[in-house]
Amino acid sequence: MTDRQSILVPIRVLEGESVPEGVPELLAHSHVVLVGYHVIPEQTAPGQARLQFEDRATERLDEYEEMFEGAGATVERRLVFTHDGQKTIDRMIAEHDCMAVLVPNATGPVEDVLVPVRGAVGVDRLARVVASVFGAMDADVTLYHVAAADTTDDDVQTLLSGITERLVEFGMDPSTIETRIDRDRNPLDAIVDVAKSFDTVVMGETDPSLATFVFGMPATQVANRFLGPVFVVQRERASADEDG
Amino acid sequence: MPEQPVDVGPGGENVAGEAPAAEPETVTDDAILHDDDVELERTIGLIGGLAIGIGTMIGAGIFVFPGLAAASAGLAATLSFAIGGLIALLVALPTSELATAMPRSGGGYYFISRSMGTAYGAIVGLGLWLGLMFASAFYLVGLGHYASAVFAELNIALPVSPVIGIGLLFGAVLTALSIGGTENTAKLQNVVVGVLLVVLTVFLSYGVLDAVGVFGGGTVPEQFFSRGYFPVLTTAALVFTSYLGFAQVATVAGEIKQPGRNLPLAMVGSVLIVTLFYVVTIFVATSAFGAERLGEFGETAMVEVARDFLGLPGAVAILGAGLLATFSSANASILSASRAVYALSRDALLPRKASKVNLRYGTPHVALLAAGGPILVLVATGRVELLAEVASFLHLIMYGLMCVALIVLRRRNPDWYSPSYRVPAYPVVPAVGAIASFGLIAFMQPASIGIGIVVMLASYLWYRYYAGDVTLKGDL
Repeated sequence: MTDRQSILVPIRVLEGESVPEGVPELLAHSHVVLVGYHVIPEQTAPGQARLQFEDRATERLDEYEEMFEGAGATVERRLVFTHDGQKTIDRMIAEHDCMAVLVPNATGPVEDVLVPVRGAVGVDRLARVVASVFGAMDADVTLYHVAAADTTDDDVQTLLSGITERLVEFGMDPSTIETRIDRDRNPLDAIVDVAKSFDTVVMGETDPSLATFVFGMPATQVANRFLGPVFVVQRERASADEDG
Repeated sequence: MPEQPVDVGPGGENVAGEAPAAEPETVTDDAILHDDDVELERTIGLIGGLAIGIGTMIGAGIFVFPGLAAASAGLAATLSFAIGGLIALLVALPTSELATAMPRSGGGYYFISRSMGTAYGAIVGLGLWLGLMFASAFYLVGLGHYASAVFAELNIALPVSPVIGIGLLFGAVLTALSIGGTENTAKLQNVVVGVLLVVLTVFLSYGVLDAVGVFGGGTVPEQFFSRGYFPVLTTAALVFTSYLGFAQVATVAGEIKQPGRNLPLAMVGSVLIVTLFYVVTIFVATSAFGAERLGEFGETAMVEVARDFLGLPGAVAILGAGLLATFSSANASILSASRAVYALSRDALLPRKASKVNLRYGTPHVALLAAGGPILVLVATGRVELLAEVASFLHLIMYGLMCVALIVLRRRNPDWYSPSYRVPAYPVVPAVGAIASFGLIAFMQPASIGIGIVVMLASYLWYRYYAGDVTLKGDL
């Protein structure tokens, strides 16, 4: 068994977003950092919104905290009033040292987990999250890679067995781990397509580039198109990002 | 991440039985933390802070005042602007120290109420709110002049002067836009300020080269003190409205990232930048026409200056810039005024209802209406110079008191007072800042002083009636 990993669960607490069905059970073996946040327009001072909405938001968070604790998770919580939701989420990831962010969507009991793997970068963190969240559940994990034309099946197999080994090292039963390789497809479409027959997806965050700047992070795009919950495993932060 | 303790909680109740909201536990670079894990995120960076300061200031000094100032002080109006800039700087430095010690929303009002007590706070806070209304009204009348100049440029003759009508229209539009929760106004403000600075730099560089004779003309024309020495000071008092913006940075102090670093940089930086632009503008404008003719052009004198240098395209560019600048100044002031209402109602000096946030748009509609409504009444008067002077008066009182507050705090030195920025040459800078701020008031028109005193008196009486039991002073 690995230690409980910190998973960030951001909820836009005053805009009707709630903890969807199945999510507390999904995180039963995790340390949940529950962040209720409320984004306010620039005309409003954050303190002004707090004056009016704090009680209501706290009430909701109390309720959610109970749901997570009832399922077995340990919970830490925050309520933030902000002009910039992304900044708040980034700060929370850094302050609470979160391994992954959960994009919460409803799910039934989790039986099949899809883990798309891009390359060798960040697989250690990916494995840690998968093992700690699902290790103690009876879920089947499928490691999935969409191979480029110039990589051989052997290369991919090496990559995926490497991860399998890590998962076993972290205490997972090897019989629950499968691998799957696809070729000649747009990785993003392929992942969304394959994910349909799975209950949840765990994938790594990619480094920001021009393409991610224009189209958004692949993980975000998957989260938008896949209807179940998505764990976005955070890349290692070298140092605090500079502000603009 | 440096954490700072904050002052001890305020107490008391107003006549409606409302107590001031509790103070936060800690203040960090990224957020303000209240108990029970509630946080207020800081989201405005250095650029955003500078844009608030410069955006508020650049509209008046460059696009409304040159003609008026030149008419009363001649070429020496450059000195008037320099004096205004110097006083603003003398106040900006102490304000920076106070803001880094208390990086919370409310600006000057917050600093003064926490260091000198509720009565001073109430006078300054209500004065700041009303002062911002006078300032917004002044910017809107300026905007009206520019919009009318557009009609003149298009050769559309109107039966009546549209200045006040347009000012009223834009005032109403701005209030409605703010209540509607327009997205990304801050980003827009950054862009507007950037565009303005580029346009002005190009225009002024050309103007300076022309004035010193590079392109032939060489017309640094007249005697420097063509109107004598005294008007230099009265003009400084009049144009001081051009320097109110740095205090608006302090009103959002609670939302600035890394306040210890960004607040002083934004306040001092914006004062230095606009002072440079103002002085050069007046120099260029007076060299182009001479003070006499410049004065005749009135509020839109800069359009004629641009036409003289660069022909029709120049005039059009400056017209557009003038519209943008006065619009953004008015917008920034309305938002600051609503922040002031929030700070007052948080501290139970105004009804808590006044800071109520609209459920649908998430905006403080009561506070915005409380700012927008009276502004329209003030715009309707159309008295540019009077509006400007009353705004200056109310701000100068606050500036002087902020300098005093700094001295009071340094002498009392309570536990919670640990600013990360300290004013140089203490106590000379704050003392001179206070004397200069109060002193400048003496050079205003009697009417402006009278209105200002009435406002202060009314503020004090309101405090005695409504919130006489509230104590805000921190850690005695």
